Amino acid sequence: MIAPVKHISPLTLVERERVLPVPGRVVARQGQAVSPTNIVAEYIAAPKYVILNIAEGLNVSPHKADKLLQRQKGDTISKSDIIAGPAGLFQRVVRAPFSGQVKLTGDGKVLIEAFASPVELKAGIDGTVTKIIPDWGVIIETRGALVQGMWGNGKIAFGLMQLMLDDPGDELVADKIDLSARGTILVGGLCQDPQVLHRAANIPVKGLVVGSMSAALVPLATKIPFPIIVLDGFGKKPMNSAAYKLLTTTTKDRNIALHAQAYRSLEGERPELVITLPAPDQIEPLLGMDEFAPEQKVYLVNKSYSAQIGIIKRILSKPFKFPSGVTAPAAEVRLENGELVKVPLASLESFGEKADQEIETY
Amino acid sequence: MATSRINTDSLLAIDIGAISTRALLFDVVNGQYRFLASGEAPSTVGTPFYNVGEGIRRAMDNLTTATGRKLISSNESLIMPSLPDNSGVDALVATISAGEPLKIVAVGLLEDITLASTRNLAATTYAQVVDTIKLNDRRQTSDRINTLMRVRPDVVIVAGGTDDGASQSVLELVEAIGLASYLSSKEQSPYILFAGNQKIQAQVRSSLEGVGKFHIAPNIRPALNLETISPAQRELTAIFKGIRKAQIGGIGDLLSWSGNYLTPTSGAFARVIRFLSKKYDPDKGVLGVDIGSQSTTVAAAFNGKETLRVYPYLGVGTGSVKTLRESKLDGIMRWLPFDISKDAVQNYIYNKQAHPHSLPVTKKELAIEQALGRQALLLAVGSTLPDFPSDTPRLAPALLPVVEPIIAAGSVISKAPTPGQALLMLLDGIQPTGVTTMVVDQNNLSAALGAAARINPLLTVQVLESSTFLNLGTIIAPVGYARFGTPVLRVRMTNKSGAETTREIKYGKLEVLPVKMGERVKLHLRPLHQFDVGMGGPGKAGEVQAVGGAAGIVIDARGRPLHLSQDPKRRKKLVQRWYRALETKV
Repeated sequence: MIAPVKHISPLTLVERERVLPVPGRVVARQGQAVSPTNIVAEYIAAPKYVILNIAEGLNVSPHKADKLLQRQKGDTISKSDIIAGPAGLFQRVVRAPFSGQVKLTGDGKVLIEAFASPVELKAGIDGTVTKIIPDWGVIIETRGALVQGMWGNGKIAFGLMQLMLDDPGDELVADKIDLSARGTILVGGLCQDPQVLHRAANIPVKGLVVGSMSAALVPLATKIPFPIIVLDGFGKKPMNSAAYKLLTTTTKDRNIALHAQAYRSLEGERPELVITLPAPDQIEPLLGMDEFAPEQKVYLVNKSYSAQIGIIKRILSKPFKFPSGVTAPAAEVRLENGELVKVPLASLESFGEKADQEIETY
Repeated sequence: MATSRINTDSLLAIDIGAISTRALLFDVVNGQYRFLASGEAPSTVGTPFYNVGEGIRRAMDNLTTATGRKLISSNESLIMPSLPDNSGVDALVATISAGEPLKIVAVGLLEDITLASTRNLAATTYAQVVDTIKLNDRRQTSDRINTLMRVRPDVVIVAGGTDDGASQSVLELVEAIGLASYLSSKEQSPYILFAGNQKIQAQVRSSLEGVGKFHIAPNIRPALNLETISPAQRELTAIFKGIRKAQIGGIGDLLSWSGNYLTPTSGAFARVIRFLSKKYDPDKGVLGVDIGSQSTTVAAAFNGKETLRVYPYLGVGTGSVKTLRESKLDGIMRWLPFDISKDAVQNYIYNKQAHPHSLPVTKKELAIEQALGRQALLLAVGSTLPDFPSDTPRLAPALLPVVEPIIAAGSVISKAPTPGQALLMLLDGIQPTGVTTMVVDQNNLSAALGAAARINPLLTVQVLESSTFLNLGTIIAPVGYARFGTPVLRVRMTNKSGAETTREIKYGKLEVLPVKMGERVKLHLRPLHQFDVGMGGPGKAGEVQAVGGAAGIVIDARGRPLHLSQDPKRRKKLVQRWYRALETKV
């Protein structure tokens, strides 16, 4: 059975496509080193159009107005430029209301597209542009630690990390956030209190990574100006051990790139943090897809189990009936705490590690 | 090619859902078409495959494992037509509900007339009306252009003007659409479907044909009091197919296998409901509901006349947070038969949306998912009520018309651990009235049968008659007002051997008559206190022949609409009692 993949790895090759939602202009060059906040491409999200009624403005017939046009289709215009005229006793003219381009003329009217500020697409990670996708974006590659989460508020940041937990289950409280947190990316276990987000915004911090967060905070977290990544889900679950270990050991005094994009399972986009590290050139990427198999390290998405990471001991040959009464294909999984549990395959994710990449077994 | 498939034998139906792809095999057994087996696999619309082909292949492999029937040849192509060694199939049909709902801008003259019809047309498929443009919205042409450029719709549906009505106003609206299409790149220009005043078709065509992907359909509002959706619905389906082909990898291959026959799952589901409405009591309608991960579909047909509404994002998986938002947390909590914090329920639902494929492991998790299912149904059926034909018989205004049977599909129903749980979700969510029969499409065949009907109607008829659906039971739901505990219905049941039992049902109760599956009984129903059970008016008695289903025969005297107590303790006790009532072994 196909296994969805969630990557948590202390060292891997990270290759990310950054593309615009609509065609635009790629500003990065192939081979360019980029940091997460560098702009790699831009596009005009929704240009503003205005139709000027020249005939009405000049007080002439549409046919005559067309003859009095001073600018034609395709012309670039500046604000207050004369578009048409003069006409009549008082030498009436029609001027451009803003800078832009004439897109269409005729029937006594002119359609103008206003110049608009482009929407910028940021690199999101620290790395090198390895490929340009003309009009759409780039592919960026880096080597380092990668931790994927399950919810993000859509923002990007880059900065030094400050650990706010001694245990994966430590709750981040507002009182703990002082001025030393200014400009850093905070890492906490649980986040349940809106005051934490308000306090962090006031300091201000550059970003926040937590194991779990109350779903009641989603509306507020969406509006918060810095990126927030929830690694494991909504509720009160400790941060998963793999992410906790990685964040508390590998990354001291290193910059961390947060790309808190929304989790879109179809597109394979997950919110993630990347810490660029020195690594050999021949390092391989993690698997983009996987199949469930015995001895595979897996992540449990269902929050009812006592731990979130385990090893598949066997895949059951027949569907298993769970306490809920639901019968489904299942695996027997040895959790980190030694407990052996049955889990629906549909509630498991693989870490996308090749057999020789697995870090530890239980 | 279609002609050659009329007399085909075996048929493979592929259904591509947001979560799962299924392959369903039908063939002739002892001279009758039968459903043989299905294979299921995760859908591969998105990462890492971005091609539905892998999911289809795996679903077919699982079907082959289940049946032993080889479907794929050694050169990796579908074996079609079937071979003498019983490998392959003779025809293939496909349905799809996966993919983001189409973004639609509805354009019409008046809100309550043409725009309403345009919305109704959009609601027949997986689509969301993201903006509307109407004559009196006070926007200039340039504002309308800006709206279209900002929203970037997949489809613009233009209606307006009865066939002898307005033309200049419609052409003014068309101007903005034409200009927006002209300004868009070829890839980004939306499909335009014109279904307005037929007298200006030629002018509209000349304005729009050169600048966009232009489709034309008969007027959806040819007269003020007449709405004709079906022809435009077919055109919208063609557009849907074109968009999905461009968006999703592998759809092109599927189209070639199926002879270009791919249909939205909702449309195919509605077709089977329409089919059934011609078969059953013409005085009653037939209702179908399909609760999906991402959307909920309500399809009804009254003597062949169809009402179809698709509610995108209202679901129990990827649509669960929208179901929560539209219901409010209390709307979900009220159905839970145990104490649990609001936070825990809200967290569970947000986690479910992020991992829509995950399954409930504990009874509490299951109850939350079933509460979501109830609410999705309640919202979808409630929103559809005003759109059912006004001349359909109802026991009271604003209640569900009298329908029989009610067919339910979707995993939350069909994979409920017990028939009682499935039935209780349906009773709470649909709130049927009078006497009806509730059936579950346990193998989720409806859409496949609807799709098959177009090329092999005999297959659809014979499979529908072959007890493929699970009869949950006959439902008797008297309508009226009384104090809790007041007797409202007297039921005298006579079984095949002539033995009689009598029960008096009190208001507020949910009772099961222990009639075994398939057992036929005669029920004499005498409503009390002017309650109406659909026998000709309030207080009128009558007899019905009823058949026991998996949950027996159920009398739902809880009132319509169903009101739950505001007192949480009392409400919880009641909900627990209802759960227990329908878990009775029959």
